[in-house]
Amino acid sequence: MADNTLNDALPPVVLQALWQRSLFGIAAINNEGHVIAVNPTFERCTGLDQAAVMGLTEDDFNLALLSTPVRKCNRVDVGVEGLSALYYMRVRSSSSSQNTMAVKLAGIAEALREPLASIYGFSELLLTQDYDEETRIDLTSTLLDQVEVMSNLINEQLDVRKINQ
Amino acid sequence: MKNVLIVDDQASIRQIVRLVLRKDFAITEAYDVVSAIEQMKLLKPDGMVLDVMMPGEMDGYQLCEKIKQDPELADIHIVLLTACGQVADQEKGLALGANAYFVKPFSPVDLARHLTHALQVDK
Repeated sequence: MADNTLNDALPPVVLQALWQRSLFGIAAINNEGHVIAVNPTFERCTGLDQAAVMGLTEDDFNLALLSTPVRKCNRVDVGVEGLSALYYMRVRSSSSSQNTMAVKLAGIAEALREPLASIYGFSELLLTQDYDEETRIDLTSTLLDQVEVMSNLINEQLDVRKINQ
Repeated sequence: MKNVLIVDDQASIRQIVRLVLRKDFAITEAYDVVSAIEQMKLLKPDGMVLDVMMPGEMDGYQLCEKIKQDPELADIHIVLLTACGQVADQEKGLALGANAYFVKPFSPVDLARHLTHALQVDK
């Protein structure tokens, strides 16, 4: 399929949406080998705004990328009128999802530590302190309540579907 | 007998700390920062076992910082007792002036040993 067929088939508004909302950071290179446009995701990925890279040669563009978090950048030849190549990268979206996961796991760990602290604490008290029978039953009952709290937390928080949301 | 204020929104944690400290200390309790401040107005404690994450506008870190910046309260021995177990959390707590940092789950016996030593309680 020729490139101009693709262009004809897609309304400009769709192309605009793809450019604006792409998960990939994209930089466009013209036939003279200069940067002519970058999309918003590129700016978020690299921390470089469009003004900083517009007009750079490909060599200077690649040098500029070295000072950014981008570790992997792909180049694809396009070969249509006015556009020779596209660079695309997917950095920030990946690291941000890792950060989100890390935050979720830290939250789960903190939530589990609370009932675990009660279970540990009551167990140690029962093992090391002298209590009358009534107190021992009361503490054991509270300990079992905390086991149930922890069990419910595990069922709720460690549901793989919820973690992946 | 020296006074220890236990501040934690979890009743079971307050119960554990109270049970292990009651032989050697006079205990008061609070379930959030606001009630902790009210308790401190009534009686300045010698030591405090302070949770970090509690309901309300202030957390344990903020209360710890506020106490340590107040010359009249700064000598209160503060033990942060928290589920915030990251190294950065601990560094933050100690940087704010906490005297010790215990991560949940914790040993009540070790906590009692720490406080009796820190507050020089004769056993």
